[in-house]
Amino acid sequence: MGPRPSGAARQGAFGATVTFIVLFVVDFLLKGGHFSAFDLKTLCMNALPLVLVALGQFFVVLTNGIDLSLGPMMSVSGAIAALTFSTSPIGAVLLAMVAAAGGGLANAILVVRLRLPPILATLATMSIFQGVALVILPSPGGTVPAGLTAFLTNGGPALLPVPLVLLVCAALATGWTMTTRFGIWLRAVGGDEGAARSSGVAVSAVKFGAYVLAALLAGLGGLYLAIATANGSPTIGDSFILLSIAAVVLGRVAIVGGRGSPLGVVMGALTLTIIGSLLYFANLSSFYQSLINGLILVGVVGFDMIRKRFLLAVRGGRQ
Amino acid sequence: MTNTRRMRNSFARPVVLAPLTITGCTVLLFLVGSILARGFMAPSNVLMLLALSADLGIAAIGETVVILTGGIDLSIAWNVTAASIIFTGITQGNEGHLWIGVAAGLGVGALAGLANGLGIAKLNISPIVMTLGMNNIMQGLTLIYSQGTPSGSAPASIKEIATGWLGPIPIIVLVWIGLAIVVSACLHATRGGRYLYSVGESPMVSRLTGIDNDFVLIAAYTVSGFCAGLTGILFTGFSSMSFLGMGDQFVLPAIAAVVLGGASIYGGRGSYAGTFVGAFFLTVLTTVLAIVNISIGFRNIIYGLVIIAAVLLYRAYTRERE
Repeated sequence: MGPRPSGAARQGAFGATVTFIVLFVVDFLLKGGHFSAFDLKTLCMNALPLVLVALGQFFVVLTNGIDLSLGPMMSVSGAIAALTFSTSPIGAVLLAMVAAAGGGLANAILVVRLRLPPILATLATMSIFQGVALVILPSPGGTVPAGLTAFLTNGGPALLPVPLVLLVCAALATGWTMTTRFGIWLRAVGGDEGAARSSGVAVSAVKFGAYVLAALLAGLGGLYLAIATANGSPTIGDSFILLSIAAVVLGRVAIVGGRGSPLGVVMGALTLTIIGSLLYFANLSSFYQSLINGLILVGVVGFDMIRKRFLLAVRGGRQ
Repeated sequence: MTNTRRMRNSFARPVVLAPLTITGCTVLLFLVGSILARGFMAPSNVLMLLALSADLGIAAIGETVVILTGGIDLSIAWNVTAASIIFTGITQGNEGHLWIGVAAGLGVGALAGLANGLGIAKLNISPIVMTLGMNNIMQGLTLIYSQGTPSGSAPASIKEIATGWLGPIPIIVLVWIGLAIVVSACLHATRGGRYLYSVGESPMVSRLTGIDNDFVLIAAYTVSGFCAGLTGILFTGFSSMSFLGMGDQFVLPAIAAVVLGGASIYGGRGSYAGTFVGAFFLTVLTTVLAIVNISIGFRNIIYGLVIIAAVLLYRAYTRERE
């Protein structure tokens, strides 16, 4: 298990990239062969919250876990920031991040220390975070400094807009994390926890790190969402419960077993984002969005399973 | 001596202790409720609360069956909504179209469940991914079918079943108790029920003993979809119309009811009697919280904490046995 992603992971990222490029070209053609700097900026801006939370989900899924609480975590951090920005912008960001880290820590304690099944633990914290967001911000509101919104959505030179820079930074930072000892151990834990433990990997610490890191990335996603929409909303994160898992799955990350790459996840998130734009330019009602998201999620996993079985059968036949 | 030990062993199992614990907690809630509101423990109010729990309890039949196999069904939300919107769309409040509407509602739920089962059993898709995806698919189909604005209303007979009384007892309570008896009999006294537990406990052993695991899984998810459809129709009778997102309120509580009832999320352990008490407890809890004017936010927080507390407590029961 080296620092580089395994062959299967690279192959997965390749598949996800091809999927994105194909959809991108279709989108490009539907728009009449038009792609401006504005389109680039909009795509990155729309994709960034999902990219962030999906990268968080990626860490948890690598440990054979799942985190249903990341979406509501986004609502909490966005709500906290929107309520405190007027007092102190830096304080608001710090407070949102501390809350996210606290939420992640709670998940980690439940899953790692108390050994609750991840799905039950995060289902419970999902409900708790939804509640917290509603308690601190019962209806959409709060304020965000206009300058901050303008800079983070609209800033930077035409060909290097700030949302693109942030997106690339997030991808590079996650990619780098996967080459550190933590990243290597993460893959080892997901691949075979028992083997990892007996070869000296601090399994509990790695899993702790995964849940906290995931919540922090979700917190950042919620923060960006609040800044981009210029207010906080207590339910804005709910749709990301499914989307974060879907992006990870589209990135061909195995739900069981430590394989997958951050690049694939970023491509998965971009794919889901561009589908919205595709529907708009194909003149289909937004009602089709959830149908298509669901079909793609099930279709991609189903296709991979059939392909795997086919390959196994072919190999079996040869032997 | 051996007899008492055996008795204690079987008694210490969470399957028995969990429903007892939840029953105890429900009694406590009733005591709290009667301090807060006069007449909270009156038989008529208890029956009323049972009637309010019935829809959740029926949705949780499916969730129980699926969780016994070691799976989970996150597609209840839009299966319920889809069934309800199809039902009112077809009947338009018209008694003459009642049976077509009921068949369509139940059929839609069962078909979604069948698709879940096929994906999970035949394509090996993880239950979380499959049922989350199916939830979105049903949401999309429902939105396209209704164009965003559900039409129609519930026929009078469904309203009667959902809100009427047969003498001193609400009809829906009789329906729920009847279903509970049938489901418990199926789980504990038929071969199909044994297969369900066996697949949940160990798919490998189950396969080796000649059980068709795939068929059991497909049947379990189909039952879950069917129950969601039934919940959708009955809940339409209660609210006398259908609306978007009406099924959202069932997903977390249905899973919570199963877990509170002592079922293991890994499968192979649990009972519908437990789920029944779990669903009732959650409804009484919600009502007590409403009496003291607790906001939805705090209610969500308390729900989450209750799930965590129950899982930790029940695990202590399991340890005792070992």
